[in-house]
Amino acid sequence: MTLPIRILTAVPICDGHDSAINTINLEFIRHGIEVIYLGYHRSVGDIVRAAIQEDVRAIGISSYNGGHIEFFAEVVDLLRKRGASDIKVFGGGGGTITHDDAATMRRKGVDQIFFAGTSLAEMTDYVRKNYGMPRKTQSRTKSWDIELAWKLTEIEDGLAKGKRLTFNAQRSTSKKTIGNRQSAIGNAKVIGFTGPGGAGKTTLIDELVLRFLKQNPRRRIAILSHDPSVVGEGALLGDRATMINSQNDRVFMRSMATRGQAGGLSPATHDCLALLAQSNFDYVIIETVGTGQEALPFQKNGIVDLTVLVMNPDYGSRLQLQKIVMLDLADIVVVNKSDLQRARTAHSEIEQRLEQNRRDQRLIDTVAKRHRDSGVDRLFELICRDERSRRGKARNKS
Amino acid sequence: MSKLGQVVEAVEKYNQFVLAQVKRARSDEKFGRELINRWNDTKAKTPVTHTPTGLPLPRLALPEMYLEPVRKIETGNYGKKTLADGAKQKADGNGARPPEEPTRLFSGLMLAEDTNERFHYLTQHQRTHRLSTAFDGPTLYGIDSDADGVFGKIGEGGVAIDTIEDMVRLYDGFDLGSPNFSASMTISGPAPIIMAMYIAAAKRHFGSKVVPKLRGTIQADIFKEVQAQNETIFPIEASLRFLTDMVEFTTREMPRWYPISISGYHIGEAGSTPVQQAAYTLSNGFAYAEMFAARGIPVDQFGPRLSFFLDCGLDAEYIALARVSRRIWAIGMRDAYGAGPRGQLFKLHTQTSGRSLIAAEFKNNLTRTAAELMLAYMNATNSCHSNSADEPFTTPSEEWIRLAAHGQAILLEESGIFKHTMNMLSGSPGMKAVECAVEAAILDEFREIERLGGVLAAVEDRFQRSQIQNAAHRYEQQIYDGTRPIIGLNKYRNGEDVAPEIKLARTPRKKQQLQVDRLAKFKKKNAEKATRALDKLAAIVERGENCFAALLEAVEVCSLGQITGCLQEVVGRFRPMV
Repeated sequence: MTLPIRILTAVPICDGHDSAINTINLEFIRHGIEVIYLGYHRSVGDIVRAAIQEDVRAIGISSYNGGHIEFFAEVVDLLRKRGASDIKVFGGGGGTITHDDAATMRRKGVDQIFFAGTSLAEMTDYVRKNYGMPRKTQSRTKSWDIELAWKLTEIEDGLAKGKRLTFNAQRSTSKKTIGNRQSAIGNAKVIGFTGPGGAGKTTLIDELVLRFLKQNPRRRIAILSHDPSVVGEGALLGDRATMINSQNDRVFMRSMATRGQAGGLSPATHDCLALLAQSNFDYVIIETVGTGQEALPFQKNGIVDLTVLVMNPDYGSRLQLQKIVMLDLADIVVVNKSDLQRARTAHSEIEQRLEQNRRDQRLIDTVAKRHRDSGVDRLFELICRDERSRRGKARNKS
Repeated sequence: MSKLGQVVEAVEKYNQFVLAQVKRARSDEKFGRELINRWNDTKAKTPVTHTPTGLPLPRLALPEMYLEPVRKIETGNYGKKTLADGAKQKADGNGARPPEEPTRLFSGLMLAEDTNERFHYLTQHQRTHRLSTAFDGPTLYGIDSDADGVFGKIGEGGVAIDTIEDMVRLYDGFDLGSPNFSASMTISGPAPIIMAMYIAAAKRHFGSKVVPKLRGTIQADIFKEVQAQNETIFPIEASLRFLTDMVEFTTREMPRWYPISISGYHIGEAGSTPVQQAAYTLSNGFAYAEMFAARGIPVDQFGPRLSFFLDCGLDAEYIALARVSRRIWAIGMRDAYGAGPRGQLFKLHTQTSGRSLIAAEFKNNLTRTAAELMLAYMNATNSCHSNSADEPFTTPSEEWIRLAAHGQAILLEESGIFKHTMNMLSGSPGMKAVECAVEAAILDEFREIERLGGVLAAVEDRFQRSQIQNAAHRYEQQIYDGTRPIIGLNKYRNGEDVAPEIKLARTPRKKQQLQVDRLAKFKKKNAEKATRALDKLAAIVERGENCFAALLEAVEVCSLGQITGCLQEVVGRFRPMV
């Protein structure tokens, strides 16, 4: 079977014209392309970093606010500088990019510019034809992030073809086995976030990342984020578009489509997570797709240190709570959007529900959309504190 | 019930009141006679003008006698003219000063001195100087010209402003305190900072006595940014707070300034239907009014300082869109907010639709714009901007700007359509039918927003955003399947797509570098003072006080980007909605 093409789309810095790219994104995913959408008002650095981490074959830039010649050229240059010139750059800007401009841009290394009047079908065909070939592997040494990104792709594509890869990283840290969390993999602490769609998982993670980065200027974080897709179909991987703090050189983020697997994760999640956990990050954060009552994304894996269930106060009747099995398994339950009217009721109902479990589960109210929210601060402290206790335990054991 | 619900109720009540009065006029002979006498009085007082061919025409056309009761009742407490016909027309023609040219031309390119030169060119033959300023991308997003990846965008699509020194250069040679001068600044996200820069720059030139004399407007419309234009830099609530800080200052210190231009234009341009445009704009306006009132600013202080900015395209709704908006605003402000007569006025700037202009056979854009201008003036807009035909490609070039401006002059000065009788085309049965349909549809939108918990809640829910996106999608679909004919594009297509010969207004690299160098010099010169000013600003914001006075101090020594960064440190950044 053919593997989905992965591309990144974005709108340049100081440009909020996102209606064209929104339409194009939808057309791409309808044609089996996995689109990582970075959003609007994005800098050259953000775009190139994301493209490398996501290991896309091409970057599509939709520019309507001028300055495109320089902006596109800067993207091409930075890709080259980072050793990622195999990632192609294409784009458009309606009537704002003239034919002369496009000629200049092509000379500067831009692959293709689409003009006003180009049909969506033409664009899709172009992408499928030109960015669908397997990458010619380069032999020369790669930077760590490119290497990591390529390995993640290998795992993902390998599984899609029915092969499970045993990758080098696993061998190099041979003592550590995957699958049993009690033996820590690397030094990374793995935190799993799950919960229904629209509960605010992505925003919450982004706010936590801000705190991680601020707390320690050397801290490095990996994020593995999931969005749903059907086997052989495209997907819109859009978590990056709303993340403002996670566009940072100390954050490595990878967006994965579930490619048909139920339960909120991808077939490759487990192995990718294991690889990330060994790759010198302090924290590895994993976000599932929005899950329903039945999903138990982290049950089998056992490689997650801490499970956070993010709830929306609007979960329906109290009886619904009984059906949410994740409530039994989560270490921390977060009621996000606690500024909503329903939140107080939600808090007390969930509190009662957790008491039945007689486990040391924590319940925290947050308003993740609020800057410096004290609830998010508490959650952050809890995660950090938990780390100390875990490391303490690990030391005691050894 | 929220304020918006009260507005809906007020409009419904008003309509019932009108109907009841008409009934009464028919049955109550005395009342009917009274109305007829009033009609006769008004007619007698209406001045008569003469066309160049000698035809006498009244300045104000009154409806026929038997319709008059309806008409007069409709005017109610809202002044002498029919409610839909316009906020502030100086119609009497004898005495008073002649009305200002409603022409307002949007301009902004390259560096401040280049835009300044363009401003002088544009206004060389105009009695009144009404400058409308476009800013470049970095300025609109509150970042400096030395930020990562913005070099090519310096001076593109608008003027680059980093510091007060740029602002001084921008309006150099204009008498900012003159009653014949007004400045309009199209910027929202960092509006309070840019406003502070403008005031500080004016003070440098003319001393602090100029402040109460300053005339003009700044867009500062946060809601529409979040709904449509994506140029928001602080979280919504923080943005609204800084806006209110600014409004509190200007309503107190600058009685002639319009501190917000409640804009439907960008909502329309982002793809909304005309009804959505009017409904979201008006409801945003009512939400701002509620917010300012909550801060303790009296409604009769801020009410008269609110102004509106609408898009005018070619759809049939535009025949009456602004007329209906004017009516709803007046009734809502009177009945739900308790505003006096001045606070009920709907002051409107209109711009012809940029979205309706296309690249293919672009000279047709002249005709499109002319038709839109006609619609705008049928709606008695207070001022108007006509787009240049070359806008699908670039910041307008001088040749096409001139044609756009002349389009207005031809319509207003050369033709007799709006020259003699000010309400020449109002009140036709067709127009009335559009008014009724549009009003009902707008009230439905209000009810929906009300159901979602009001404007702020709906905005945070992305309601308006997704509605606009859906409408945009439908519009594209209609062009694609031909149900929406676009001449030269999907109909009567000429076949060949020749790139037009257009002189592009690109900013040379040399100028962009100059801007970066100037900024570096400014930052170096003020480094120490900047730190102190920013610390002070941050502390005030942290304490939750009105920060506008601190902004006025900060702009003297800090760049736009430095101030934005400082504020974002305290209140956070805007998280994009997608």
